[in-house]
Amino acid sequence: MKQLVVIGNSAAGISAVEAIRKVDKTSKIIVISDEDYPSYYRCLISYYLAGQVREEKLLYRSESFYKENNIELRLNRKVMRVEPKRNRIILEDKSQLSYDSLLIATGASPKFPHLAGIKKRNVFGFRTIKDVKEIEKILPVAKNACILGGGLIGLKAAYALKKRNIEVKLIVKSKQVLSQMLDYKAAGFVQKKIEENGIELIFGQDAVEIIGDGELKAIKLDSGKVIGCSLVIVAKGVSPNTDLVKDTPINVREGIIANEFLQTNIPNIYTAGDVCEGFDLVLNAPSVNALWPIAVEQGRVAGQNMTGQGLKYQGSLGMNSLEFFGLAVVSLGIFKIKEDDPNFEEIKFLDEKQNIYKKLILKDNYLVGAVLVGDIRNSGVFLRLIRERINISSLKDKLLNENFGYPEIMDLVNQKENLYV
Amino acid sequence: MKQLYYEVKKCLGCKSCEFACALTHSLTGELFKEINKEDPSLPRKKVLFSKGNNYPVSCRHCREPKCVDACMAGALTYDKEKGMVLHDESSCVGCWMCVMVCPYGAIRPNIKTKLPLRCDKCKDKDEPACVSACPTGAVIWKEEA
Repeated sequence: MKQLVVIGNSAAGISAVEAIRKVDKTSKIIVISDEDYPSYYRCLISYYLAGQVREEKLLYRSESFYKENNIELRLNRKVMRVEPKRNRIILEDKSQLSYDSLLIATGASPKFPHLAGIKKRNVFGFRTIKDVKEIEKILPVAKNACILGGGLIGLKAAYALKKRNIEVKLIVKSKQVLSQMLDYKAAGFVQKKIEENGIELIFGQDAVEIIGDGELKAIKLDSGKVIGCSLVIVAKGVSPNTDLVKDTPINVREGIIANEFLQTNIPNIYTAGDVCEGFDLVLNAPSVNALWPIAVEQGRVAGQNMTGQGLKYQGSLGMNSLEFFGLAVVSLGIFKIKEDDPNFEEIKFLDEKQNIYKKLILKDNYLVGAVLVGDIRNSGVFLRLIRERINISSLKDKLLNENFGYPEIMDLVNQKENLYV
Repeated sequence: MKQLYYEVKKCLGCKSCEFACALTHSLTGELFKEINKEDPSLPRKKVLFSKGNNYPVSCRHCREPKCVDACMAGALTYDKEKGMVLHDESSCVGCWMCVMVCPYGAIRPNIKTKLPLRCDKCKDKDEPACVSACPTGAVIWKEEA
């Protein structure tokens, strides 16, 4: 009997085992997770901390899921090393596990900068249910928090803490929030919402020291400013969990490198999700695109290929959507270009009063990116134009019209239309 | 299972289907009460004009729904028997991932309620409200081909 091992029990791992079980009812499947918690909707942890989602709603797959699908789940077990030559993995307790086919879906971990005091108590990452439960424990005695980093995770953490009546300061090294998904203009709308809702933003400064004897007292910035706080959340991005393949022949750049079958350079080892460096359709280059929907998609393809289906993954692109104090924002593909770059063309719509800003980025008559603030209708249609590389020269002046939608691209997409007769 | 089809040539773009949809999904269920409200019920269907024709656009309940994959809150499931994407409002957090990935732009955000607007085929009724509301018979409710 074949033994398929999946390292990771989140979006990519679960999606993979579901795909495997669709066609293969007999192989032994073992899922390993270093978390001591059943599979959960990771992106909901901020909503949970905010008090908007109850704990039972976090559950992604119930215990019965593993039983019904004859999957052995090993929680709280960390894989230390993969040994491709011997087709086995080594766990933290030195035990070994052999595999016929392996999926590495180990996800990512928060990056902690090398700062004096970063290891102090009450300095947290914001990635796991464990992080959030520990943060929750100190909320009754915490009054004020500093969040390092103005990305989506930092913003979500800020929102959650604010909802729990903690005074929040967000320390952002760059000139704007969400610099990995929005241009300066779009970020301005989000920042306005944040500040209106009582979260303080500090730009252009970075933390240099976390102060306190044992207990956290304050944070010191590179400007010399010292801010008192009883809680620090580090949200300066994540890095793929690739340690287990260090010093192996498995190719790694930022993440574990996958080919179009989501296979590593070792044929019986696959990778998917936040650890996977796959092909980016917009950049036309390898990239790690860490997002729940992408992990689900990649997990499925990897799982299918672990059962020998030989399916190609078309690639992903950087994208995200968010809702912040009533403002909806979507970012797709390229969101910022160098000023007056002749290779690109921008189409924009701006209504400051209504908090609406839309920008599309085109290259040689192909859509390569979009930023939508306040009006995110049709973002799925734009995503499709990007993904399917559709020449939109005939549509350019219509894309941001009130009446634009799927019917306008119907003739251009590679799909037989059967609803409209 | 039954699905909505549209005989595009018959569609006048009168938006009767949009009104019927909004009304059927409203709390009051009465047109005059609804249109005088500050937050009137919103339609889950939009008629869009393109190249001489009108096209009612709403959720198609795709067999391999991208929105279900994208949902990071477990609010969306695909019900094979009903041939429908089901939306559990109590689980939805309004993250708009479903809006971002819908290949038809058929899911629209309701910013006020933080819930996506999508066709539910008027689940408790014999046929969707848009079918009988259409004055020209352009909206067709029939077994999937």
